[in-house]
Amino acid sequence: MEEKLREAVAKSRADYTEARWEQVTRSRVMFQRDQLLALESGEEQGGIVRCLVKGAWGIAVFTDPSDLPRKVEEATRLAHTASGHVADPVELAPVEPVEAHHAGEMQRDPRGVPLEEKRRLAQRYNEMILGHAPEIVSTSVRYTDAWRRAIYANSEGAYVEQGVPDVTLMLAAVARKNGDIQQGFESMGWAAGFEAVQGKEEEALKAAKRAVDLLSAKPVKGGHYTVILDPDLAGVFIHEAFGHICEADFLLKNEPMRKVMRVGTRFGVQSLNVVDDGYIPGARGNSPYDDEGVPRRKAYLIKNGILSGLMHSRATAHKTKMEPTGNARAVSWEHEPIVRMRNTYIEPGKSSLDEMLAGIEHGLYACAAFGGQTMFEQFTFSAAYGHEISNGRIGPMVRDVVLTGNVFQTLNNIETIGQDFKLEGSSGGCGKGGQWPLPTTTGAPHVRIRDVTVGGR
Amino acid sequence: MGILERAAQRAEAAELYDELREGVAVHFHGGEIEAAGSEAIRGRALRVIASGKLGFASTAGGSDEALVKSALAAAAHGDPAPFAFAASQDGKAVPVLDPQVSAITVENLIAWGEEAVRAIRDEFPDLVVNASLARGTADVSVRTTAGGERRERRSYVSMSLDAEHIREGDIWAVYAGRSVRRVADLDRAALLDEMLRYLRWGREIATPPAGTPPILFAPSGFPVLLLPLMVGSSGLSVFLGTSPLKGRLGEAAFDPRLSITDVGTLPFGPRSRTFDDEGLSTGRLPLVEGGVLRNFYYDLRAAALAKAEPTGNGMKGGPMGTGGFRVPPGPASRNIVVTPGEGSLDDLIAEMKDGLIVVGTLGLGQGNIQSGAFSNNVGVGFAVKGGKVVGRVKNTMIAGNAYEVLKDGIRAIGATPEWVFGGLHVPPVLAQGVSVVVR
Repeated sequence: MEEKLREAVAKSRADYTEARWEQVTRSRVMFQRDQLLALESGEEQGGIVRCLVKGAWGIAVFTDPSDLPRKVEEATRLAHTASGHVADPVELAPVEPVEAHHAGEMQRDPRGVPLEEKRRLAQRYNEMILGHAPEIVSTSVRYTDAWRRAIYANSEGAYVEQGVPDVTLMLAAVARKNGDIQQGFESMGWAAGFEAVQGKEEEALKAAKRAVDLLSAKPVKGGHYTVILDPDLAGVFIHEAFGHICEADFLLKNEPMRKVMRVGTRFGVQSLNVVDDGYIPGARGNSPYDDEGVPRRKAYLIKNGILSGLMHSRATAHKTKMEPTGNARAVSWEHEPIVRMRNTYIEPGKSSLDEMLAGIEHGLYACAAFGGQTMFEQFTFSAAYGHEISNGRIGPMVRDVVLTGNVFQTLNNIETIGQDFKLEGSSGGCGKGGQWPLPTTTGAPHVRIRDVTVGGR
Repeated sequence: MGILERAAQRAEAAELYDELREGVAVHFHGGEIEAAGSEAIRGRALRVIASGKLGFASTAGGSDEALVKSALAAAAHGDPAPFAFAASQDGKAVPVLDPQVSAITVENLIAWGEEAVRAIRDEFPDLVVNASLARGTADVSVRTTAGGERRERRSYVSMSLDAEHIREGDIWAVYAGRSVRRVADLDRAALLDEMLRYLRWGREIATPPAGTPPILFAPSGFPVLLLPLMVGSSGLSVFLGTSPLKGRLGEAAFDPRLSITDVGTLPFGPRSRTFDDEGLSTGRLPLVEGGVLRNFYYDLRAAALAKAEPTGNGMKGGPMGTGGFRVPPGPASRNIVVTPGEGSLDDLIAEMKDGLIVVGTLGLGQGNIQSGAFSNNVGVGFAVKGGKVVGRVKNTMIAGNAYEVLKDGIRAIGATPEWVFGGLHVPPVLAQGVSVVVR
């Protein structure tokens, strides 16, 4: 396929052409309660061609490899049709074409691990959770692995071949008492082999215990609090609330927002540093080369409290006169690359948790995330659980903790940043523009923020 | 030799799902066309029962032999299959194919997109307008060694618009979309009207009453209340004990005016189909009738486990899922139809006097959805004063429990349903007992 790909893009009559062909091998095991709901494997291959003609993209997605030359023509034709309607043509920032091979690192290749062993692992975690307490009525334990081998060629002469491993583990417990139902979960993922998901017994027990504890937790009272986010939730916050608006495609045709997101603008305290990094050993959001063949670059989004950069594709880099950062990612061969995050985190600061708690008379310790969503500056995210803070001490557990607000105000309200740090690749993934779930990693220390709106009754 | 025959030599039973998706799409960004694309994707999935045990594998582009081998390997370590694959079934064909859909050209899609962008910009020149339009077909077949053999071609046309108002410290966006199976059902004017109505209402910023004011859920806001019920009505959730509806069939669990039906046979309904992804005929399943909980929905496995009848709800993808060849079928709803009541949206607004209209929320489906608890940021919402819309709201959260609201909190169900989220046909509903926190 390598030769065919190189040949097809070289022959293309479009202004620019790229083609990507992927082979994906995956497996999945899922238990709910005592039921094995999935034990399966899959293999797929498919490709995508993208052509630029007079500033408009044409795209063709296909599964039959012999279609490749025809698909280049089809994409060219589509681009040509669209180009008749374009007033503000797409152009690409220059990059040095690379010839690169990158093999994903792992100790134990999941493709060599028998399904039976994967099943035994998931079953063991499942039984631990189920057996933890009589209140546990159900579980959701899910193991997945995927090996994605992508080859990429473009008409400028770039050729990249890379292997990307991905393993995830979801350990969830459902507890029930009278009519009340609560969940506890631990969600994990890595760019690694089978070794990463072994030895997670402690996490299984944590999930089970939390579900049971939540049954006796009170719903949080809505209002405004000084909040300490634990590293898990702070990581989700920085990804959801801030990361997405630093994706430069969002600013591309958006003059007013470009003014808000001007490099050099102060967004928070001096000790606030936010990074999107394309490679950390084992991190799930790794993307050594992006799906435009651009090598990764570590992008500082905020440095010393000041906006210092954005995440780019070649098109957004051209438009904003910046350098491509290697953030053009596609979730699969079914999709074109768009600007996405990789491993996004807040760098650790100097404060201990005790120092951060000090002086909070009545606050909230919000932990782990059910999920999050943003609409530009507005964000909402659900903590998996929380604790009251009173007079500087962490108190009883509370539930139904949903935080919301304006990201710029909230960044400005960050008071202190902890000295600890945790990087977390969840078992889910990031969604944008119909592309889901893209493996990403979030990370942070504890973060203390004043005046956060908490929903609740 | 066909793949089923190949599988039958080494397993007692097999089921092959085969799907070919073909279509074109265009995307507008910032009011302009950015890309035009096509897709031709074929995927297959095989389930086998070998030595009594179930196995599943999927492929795109892989060989028949590799697919059979993978499915058998999974079965070797699988659990006993509590059910059998579908046998031959009779069922009236549900109309899901409009041949005219294939006649829609990329130029047509571009023209429709440009027309909508122009109409919005004429009135709101400063908005950033994005749009996506697509059309295509899916050829789906499900065949089993038990003699089941179903196939059909389904068409779709979709259009979504998104207008963003962006000022420093004040950003909001309105979204509206339709996905239909028939060209004639794509009412572009109505879609545009909906967008423009919300944009006009949003010219001013207003503060809604805090506390527990009356809340009008527009059709696109209603899923906040419906989603927990859709998840809770899954026969699998009930069997596993994670649904609060377990053991409550026949109970008046909801407001007597509430009737909800899961329908697969609605002609040209967005999620209508003659057969589900296990080859069973779809049908019409009342979930709630006059407030009384009537049925749960099942795929083959959940039905066998719960000793219930399968309902033709075996779908690839979850309750809100879009499916795909990669995943095995599980219980999920088809079209969810809420029986309309009386009164237009304007009537309900007049009736509520002072309150909040919820059109769209952030964080839908997050949180402890099983329990019915919700807590959402109101992404698109409007304050009502003296029965009149006075402006859009900012920094507003709603919270409550969907099961409680649907039982004791319904004040009125409107007469004007719309299709939202692909497969939900729901009217607006006026509710109380939802708390509102405003910053």
